[in-house]
Amino acid sequence: MDTGSNEPKSRYLQYLEVVTGPLEDKRRWRRYKARTKQLPESYRTAVEAMERYLMHFGPGDGADAASMYEDLADLFEQSAADGTPIREIFGEDPVEFVEAFAQNYSAGRWISRERERLTSAIERAAGEDTGEEERTV
Amino acid sequence: MGKLLTEMLKGTLEGIVLAILSGRPAYGYEITAWLRDQGFSDIAEGTVYALLVRIERRGLVDVEKVPSEKGPPRKVYSLNAQGREYLEEFWRTWSFLAERLEQLREEGK
Repeated sequence: MDTGSNEPKSRYLQYLEVVTGPLEDKRRWRRYKARTKQLPESYRTAVEAMERYLMHFGPGDGADAASMYEDLADLFEQSAADGTPIREIFGEDPVEFVEAFAQNYSAGRWISRERERLTSAIERAAGEDTGEEERTV
Repeated sequence: MGKLLTEMLKGTLEGIVLAILSGRPAYGYEITAWLRDQGFSDIAEGTVYALLVRIERRGLVDVEKVPSEKGPPRKVYSLNAQGREYLEEFWRTWSFLAERLEQLREEGK
């Protein structure tokens, strides 16, 4: 769901993005925030609670995180339009849903990096070292 | 039955949703409603949504945005060739599992 344009970036913009991270991701983040502000109160409260959790345990910055928040806004806008009760969105265990959701956007998730690290450490310990460097997820 | 059903559903929900989509394209809410009708009453809308995002990202379904009367456009999911292949693999695995479990049950009688 890349909404960015394909125009070449100016040198200045390239330099700026090295310093600040991609501006397009920031734009997408602000659009997401604007969308969730429009939600009815209970849906907004729910989406903000999810956002807080994802800030800690979800993917960090980047295009993957931006897609995640867009998908999140899609879900809550749709649910608000359908009048789906909050409990029916989350089910009995909110953590389970949020974890399943976050796993789709694993790039840059610290937990994915740690899982990868564990897997390759065991490969080495088991003498199955394939000579590959640690793969980044 | 509730808790056990939820646990067992975890491993099979993906196949169930792909099987539903092999019949006809559907959007998220329709899928959840169908599952609830069929007795999976505890299923969370969010769980189904997370799964749909996953199969979309893995390229098993095609997605079309269709305007809706109320609210934002709906994403309608349909099974593509890769999804069909995956579904066949799911059914083969399911048959294997069901056969083995039936065998265990027979032996235990």
